[in-house]
Amino acid sequence: MQTTNVTYLSVTSTFHTRLLALVLTVIALTIFGIKVFQYKYPLTPGAQTTTWDFEVYLDFDTANQPVRIETFIPSNSDTRSVSQEQYYNGAFGLRLESDDEDGRKAIWTYRYPDDRKVLRYRARLEGETQRSPLPAEMHRPADREPPGSLNDLERQAFIVWSSDMRRRSADNESLAELILQEIFVEKDADEIEALLPALPPPLDRLTLAAEALQSQGIRARVANGVYLDEARRRTEVQHWLEYHVEGRDKRYFIGPDPKEFFTIWYGTEEMIRADGVFDFEPQVSIQPIDSSTSDVVRKAAREARNPVELFSFDRLPVTTQLVYQVLITIPAGIVLLVFMRQFIGIETLGTFMPILIGIAFRETALLNGIILFTMLVALGLAMRFYLEKLRLLLVPRLAVVLIFIVICMAVIAQVFNGANMRMGLSISLFPMVILTMTIERMSIMWEEYSAEDAIKAGAGSLLIASLSYLVMTNQHVEYLLFNFPELLLILMAACLLMGKYTGLRVSEIIRFRELAKQAEK
Amino acid sequence: MIRTWIALRKAGLLGINERNLRLVNDLNPRRLMRLVNDKTETKRLAIEAGIATPELYGLIRNPLDMRNLEKLLDKPDGCVIKPANGSQGNGIQVILGPMRGGWRRSNGQRALLEDLRFHVNNILSGMYSLSGQPDVAMIEYRVKFDEVFDPISFGGVPDIRIIVLRGIPFVAMVRLPTAESDGKANLHKGGVGVGLDLVTGRTMHGMQNGKTTEIHPDTANPLSNLKVPHWDEMLLMAAKAYEVTGLGYLGADIVLDKGKGPLLLELNARPGLAIQVANRMGILPLVNATLKADTEGMSAEERVEMAKKLYRSFAPERIFA
Repeated sequence: MQTTNVTYLSVTSTFHTRLLALVLTVIALTIFGIKVFQYKYPLTPGAQTTTWDFEVYLDFDTANQPVRIETFIPSNSDTRSVSQEQYYNGAFGLRLESDDEDGRKAIWTYRYPDDRKVLRYRARLEGETQRSPLPAEMHRPADREPPGSLNDLERQAFIVWSSDMRRRSADNESLAELILQEIFVEKDADEIEALLPALPPPLDRLTLAAEALQSQGIRARVANGVYLDEARRRTEVQHWLEYHVEGRDKRYFIGPDPKEFFTIWYGTEEMIRADGVFDFEPQVSIQPIDSSTSDVVRKAAREARNPVELFSFDRLPVTTQLVYQVLITIPAGIVLLVFMRQFIGIETLGTFMPILIGIAFRETALLNGIILFTMLVALGLAMRFYLEKLRLLLVPRLAVVLIFIVICMAVIAQVFNGANMRMGLSISLFPMVILTMTIERMSIMWEEYSAEDAIKAGAGSLLIASLSYLVMTNQHVEYLLFNFPELLLILMAACLLMGKYTGLRVSEIIRFRELAKQAEK
Repeated sequence: MIRTWIALRKAGLLGINERNLRLVNDLNPRRLMRLVNDKTETKRLAIEAGIATPELYGLIRNPLDMRNLEKLLDKPDGCVIKPANGSQGNGIQVILGPMRGGWRRSNGQRALLEDLRFHVNNILSGMYSLSGQPDVAMIEYRVKFDEVFDPISFGGVPDIRIIVLRGIPFVAMVRLPTAESDGKANLHKGGVGVGLDLVTGRTMHGMQNGKTTEIHPDTANPLSNLKVPHWDEMLLMAAKAYEVTGLGYLGADIVLDKGKGPLLLELNARPGLAIQVANRMGILPLVNATLKADTEGMSAEERVEMAKKLYRSFAPERIFA
């Protein structure tokens, strides 16, 4: 009875596992198929969108008096997007102010700063083109009124000039073109010179043009932003004109039209205003980067509000999305680890320790990570062997090793920071508790088994950590898992099936090769 | 590599994955594992079932008990300190007897009370226990092993490992200490494993560090054709261990004491696979046959008889010249 019971159990559980794996795979492939074939989700990160790394870098001196720095920062609209925003505030207070009219502002304040300070704003931008529609508020008709800022005499001149323009045009579209031509091309017209507001060029002419168009019932405004053309460490803030005429959205650029640009704010205010600082060096830089997965997916989601969106992360806030972009790749690393353990038979220290090390490598990059890991483990082991002589209890001993690791990390960070290497800064994200446990396990293995076994297990862990890092940071893996989270079910199915693998491991083939020789005889 | 793989498959090699899935997972319910992980529990069960074990002198459960340590160690014939939840022989300290200012260790060195206190403290803090949980230190009778293995062992206690499947002993080996293993009989520390014929209890071939060998590396004496005394008694002990614990797959570690005969040292719920190399045979066919065997209502003695029959049908008796 017991026999049948055992085989029965074994067979049904195998069948059950396979069925479950099959069901999971079918569900995953169905959702995946719908996304790909019906909603045309791209399968590769592709180059459909270029995103730009945008940075405002503010470097200044302070003298113990209140500092207030305001800067316009990019904001989202239907045609452009900002993601992955990061603020480096230091000790400054940060306030964000949103204004539909002008744009979004970051305001940094600090009461009694001293010394040189640095503030940074970073974001990823996805820009607009000449074909992008203007925001909806530009579609409202304008009031036909001469600009209010002029005095009586100027107003007279303005009315004469604009009615002259009106007479010479056939419709609003040709009127707009004529006005722009008059202001920007035939620059030496005296009337224009007289009407220009007191603003730095080219804002003066742009403002005049906007006012002239508005007075003729054509909605227009000055837009400011950056051209996204090539990597620039110091990019110029650009100004242009947006107007809406005869149901069409138009932009007037001074000089040749840029292929791609990003509107940051409207109006004639300066981008950055600073009070209470000296030696102020604002710097705006842009750099093209490989299209990021989240941008592509949000674009796809915008285009089609569809039911499969439920299986995507694009409803979450950007910062949360970023977290998931990392988290979601971990299962891929786990599957690799399971494979390496069950099929290859590589020994590791701790079950999932290699994955955690692999995640830590994200911050340090691979080579630096391996160097740091080896260095810290070696130092920790040396400390651990020394502590062995003092005969301490287990938990306090672990604590001593942990503190020692933290000190080592701090020292390494200092040394490398002095040498101006980024590597040193990334170290702080290394999981020190995991390192401590690694060291403890390794040292016990070292004593109980042999140095060879301990080093083998350490190297095995490092190997799996490196491979899992490569898998987890692979562009395609990240893209696929982030945009098609249903694929996790397939990974789960793979693990289920591997959980029923009864075959030999590669390591066992090597271990028992003597037996094979025997059998061959 | 592929040729080796095919050869191993043909030889019926049992791999770790298969052992874990088909034997450990299916036959050893987790709640029963405690019975063998905790050696004090195993000892209690064994005594109840009439299986001989080394006498327990005392336990040290917490630092307060530590004041008893000196008294417990004070045995003219020495004693053994071991963690109740240790694995793979880790944390075992053998004391041969008192000497001036301390105790003599198995390797001849002197251990001070302070050294032993530290060791016991490490045991209590869980350094040797499976999951690092606080543990209990056992102090028990030091086995005075039978001279039968003297020609083929070096400085330590040889022990006999019998693997039992559903109460049927089906493969066995004797583990011999070497200089390399520092007097310990653990194979992964460099001990020598010698396959035993399950029917006769005679030694066959040996292995060390995964490689086959015919002689003991330190004494250079041939390993084969040595009859283990009290063999049937040992098989019976192993078979009974199944009834005591309920574990369908277990390894029984037995030592042979000069005066007291075979003593059950400990039980293991996931015995290793190196025994296959020591026996020069893959055990998968034997495993499958043993799993199919009908043991309904059989006594331990009957199962031992069945074990011998099953074993002989897969492994013919070797005739030594």
